Amino acid sequence: MMPRTVLVIDDERDIREVAKTSLELVGGFRVILADSGESGLSLAQDARPDAIILDLMMPDLDGRKTLAGLKQNTLTAEIPVIILTAKVQSEKHELLANGAAGVLVKPFNPMELPDQVCEILGWCHSKRRGE
Amino acid sequence: MAVRQGEDQVRAALEKVWMTSKPEVLSRLATIERFLASLESGNSNNASRLAAQSAAHRLSGSLGMFGLGEASTCAAEIESMLLHDDSLQAEKMAELLRDLRNMIERRESQDPGRIVHP
Repeated sequence: MMPRTVLVIDDERDIREVAKTSLELVGGFRVILADSGESGLSLAQDARPDAIILDLMMPDLDGRKTLAGLKQNTLTAEIPVIILTAKVQSEKHELLANGAAGVLVKPFNPMELPDQVCEILGWCHSKRRGE
Repeated sequence: MAVRQGEDQVRAALEKVWMTSKPEVLSRLATIERFLASLESGNSNNASRLAAQSAAHRLSGSLGMFGLGEASTCAAEIESMLLHDDSLQAEKMAELLRDLRNMIERRESQDPGRIVHP
């Protein structure tokens, strides 16, 4: 069985690369990357990943607008979205109310990121596909 | 979760990302240092302050991924100073920036295998 696919949308190259390294090598996921909200919306519709990790603070189409775009599109509305932000406490409630599946704090620990994703999405007990 | 690849392999991959990210990290640090210099000389403006704030925010959000948790906290403190007029003190910012640069440079002298993620 194919491993689960996670789309990471972040305008910062280093965060995209560390997330990819972590999710692939530690978590065993397949990872695809987008460097903006616009390209993330397009890639989400084309690739239909199992989950999306979305940075909140991005230029142009920020995380909130991207989340709204994902939820308004019937092709992507059901894909769980985890928000990545540095200001978790003040924003978590609002983000969850707007359809986010969970919120992760930056900076994340790359050795623990896959566990956190699994925990939020309830993938812990079902195991990742391919196991 | 059992690590799919050996931890050494994961750390080596992360070290590669650090090496390619380092120029951007140093560039962000320099952006804040330039703002501090302008603040100290009385020539700061809002654009350079916003640039410094953005640089501090990005450093705060990324350094911890590379085992530099304390540096992330330091960058967050600088970002907070830049956000609030009443806490913007050149002397304090200079001290934090020195600490931040030292932490980043100290990482360079460490054995990558010893970098510990919190």
